[in-house]
Amino acid sequence: MTTQTVERARAYDTTRALLKVSNLEVEYWTRRGVVRAVDGVSFEIYPNEVFGLAGESGCGKSTIAHAITRLLKPPAYIVGGEATFDGADILRMDEDKLRGFRWEHIAIVFQSAMNSLNPVLSIREQITDVIQMHRQVSKKEATERARELLQVVGIDPSRINSYPHQLSGGMRQRVVIAIALALNPELIIMDEPTTALDVVVQKQIIDEIRELKERFGFSILFITHDLSLLVEFSDRIGIMYAGEIIETAPSREVFTNPKHPYTQRLMNSFPTISGPRQALLGIPGSPPDLITPPTGCRFHPRCPVMIQGLCPQVHPELMAVSASHRAACHLVAEEAADYAKRA
Amino acid sequence: MQNGHNMQPILEARNLTKHFTAGNALSKQVVRAVENASLQLYPGRVTALVGESGSGKSTIARMLVRMYEPTSGELIYHGRNCLLEKGRRELLSYRSQVQMIFQDPFSSLNPVRRVRDVLERPLHIHGKARRGKVREQIYELLHRVSLTPVEEFADKYPHQLSGGQRQRVAIARALAVEPKVILADEPVSMLDVSIRMGILNLMAKLRDDEGIAFLYVTHDIASARYFADETLVMYAGRIVEGSTSEELIQDPKHPYTQLLLSSVPDPAKGLRTGAARADKGEVPDLAAVGNGCPFAPRCPHVMDICRQAMPPVTPLNDDRWVRCYLYEPVPEAVAARN
Ligand SMILES: Nc1ncnc2c1ncn2[C@@H]1O[C@H](COP(=O)(O)OP(=O)(O)OP(=O)(O)O)[C@@H](O)[C@H]1O
Ligand SMILES: Nc1ncnc2c1ncn2[C@@H]1O[C@H](COP(=O)(O)OP(=O)(O)OP(=O)(O)O)[C@@H](O)[C@H]1O
Ligand code: SF4
Ligand SMILES: [Mg+2]
Ligand SMILES: [Mg+2]
Repeated sequence: MTTQTVERARAYDTTRALLKVSNLEVEYWTRRGVVRAVDGVSFEIYPNEVFGLAGESGCGKSTIAHAITRLLKPPAYIVGGEATFDGADILRMDEDKLRGFRWEHIAIVFQSAMNSLNPVLSIREQITDVIQMHRQVSKKEATERARELLQVVGIDPSRINSYPHQLSGGMRQRVVIAIALALNPELIIMDEPTTALDVVVQKQIIDEIRELKERFGFSILFITHDLSLLVEFSDRIGIMYAGEIIETAPSREVFTNPKHPYTQRLMNSFPTISGPRQALLGIPGSPPDLITPPTGCRFHPRCPVMIQGLCPQVHPELMAVSASHRAACHLVAEEAADYAKRA
Repeated sequence: MQNGHNMQPILEARNLTKHFTAGNALSKQVVRAVENASLQLYPGRVTALVGESGSGKSTIARMLVRMYEPTSGELIYHGRNCLLEKGRRELLSYRSQVQMIFQDPFSSLNPVRRVRDVLERPLHIHGKARRGKVREQIYELLHRVSLTPVEEFADKYPHQLSGGQRQRVAIARALAVEPKVILADEPVSMLDVSIRMGILNLMAKLRDDEGIAFLYVTHDIASARYFADETLVMYAGRIVEGSTSEELIQDPKHPYTQLLLSSVPDPAKGLRTGAARADKGEVPDLAAVGNGCPFAPRCPHVMDICRQAMPPVTPLNDDRWVRCYLYEPVPEAVAARN
């Protein structure tokens, strides 16, 4: 191997990934039929990386988050694929092992997390509960750690005996983040962590998360609708459409050089405060029903550059167009073939 | 407070104030939701109202559509103070000129009514139905909001429509009464990014082609830049700055507007450095706002005078004004004392 191929091999060295998801398939078995919410999704997250996941409502983002933490409940079933964390097989862990695994290794901040705090327990109880569940420490030590954690997320430790309703939405969200940090996990999943907050508070919290990440060195799976925030905060991004990841690339590239027509239109769907003021079109039509998704490329009914005779029939796979950029669209096939020849 | 385009406002709010009483008999609290808000809406123009959650945006919109009775102030429609006209007939006639569109397209439509019935009702209530022509009127409305084929959409129930399509029906319903003013309260915030522009572009077309005046309530200042000619910024019940949208974003004057803009994520600019990092201030408690500038507790430029009285309106040019002592010429008496 030449040095160059070694370099490339390293960028793609999947044995170094912290989380590796391959061909994950999740279904909801409903009375209306089978909703294939996650259909053959693969991605990996590297140490210290913020991996962003975006896509329209209902495309399967939260389902992925629940699947890789094994928190799915019927009617949801994982029907295929693999998910490993530092080499350990998450999908085959027994309940006992899972209990230690969640919070210790992967922590989760859920969608509308600020309402997920228990209203009748004080902040102190909620943080110390998590610590004492996993560590052999006294109540006093756990409380000490809880104070430390509050300090870390920018809440005055003197508020430790407050109840959730006595805190603002932003403070509650910080408490949830403090709980996620309690056991120094390697990966934190954040599902719309700031969606319900005002932008000023959102910025405070995102800045804080960024600082904490630098300090403690963890990875983040960051799920959001807000594409401006996604591009700004993530290192790498996966764009989902109708249960599939249809493009992955470094976040700058997703914004400046998107390959998939869906990503291209999506990046041209939201106004920004800088840059030229231009007409924005959005995407015509609406996302498909996942019980009967379109054949071929799932985006073809809404795609402005759809190829007749190909896109409606043939399902495009994710193809690499560079070492770090993949897209699932027939239009990139040539570019991908070129890259494969060079690589 | 003035304008560089020499038009007559169609709807004007003068010092509208709304106080709510909260709490129980033992501990009554007055929530000063909106304090002395003045604004003008012009035919064929969009005015955006931006500000954080709880700052009073919806309360203003609801006073403008006469859902809430203002505690004080005037509402001038076509030159008449319409708050004095309290009869049912007058209210109905007002509502046929000033319509509201709500944030949630899922709950604002009756689930058991077909689209055609949703649209037919206001035609009858407001006497706009033309005998033997109602079907055409409905199709025409659907056409205007691009729900085609119109025959197909007319027969659907709300649950058979996507969020964006429901919001289009809500807009068509508002259009049914041939309004001159539409108050849109966060009309796209519950919709997916990919379909938001379709709705904003549709409203922009109604503004341009039909000269409808819009109030666009949003917490997304980037979308205000895109859609609104003029933008007003609210903080804790007060409108603190008004300007053409582009100027406001290029050169925000009020310290709150500056904080707001420095907090907006911006993919085009790349990673922000923590310019607004210092702000740890909490959102204000409307029951506890004093007499001074409501932003004073968080403001990096706060002066003594800021805590004493609400700053007056300072015009900066024909199109913009601000309420902040930083821009107020220092009265001679004060200057002499210092
Ligand atoms: N409990 C359930 N029963 C049946 N279908 C479900 C259930 N939960 C989710 N789904 C379906 O699975 C699909 C994926 O849902 P998911 O919550 O993962 O989407 P999402 O991308 O997180 O959306 P959002 O951005 O709105 O949070 C959707 O089509 C949804 O309708
Ligand atoms: N009917 C009501 N009774 C009592 N208080 C009210 C009522 N309506 C609004 N308020 C209070 O008035 C203030 C302004 O509320 P408003 O809904 O106008 O804010 P907003 O700017 O629209 O916020 P958001 O962005 O969250 O919609 C808030 O403190 C709110 O709690
Ligand atoms: S009036 Fe004073 S406190 Fe208010 S924004 Fe201006 S400088 Fe800050
Ligand atoms: Mg979700
Ligand atoms: Mg509101």
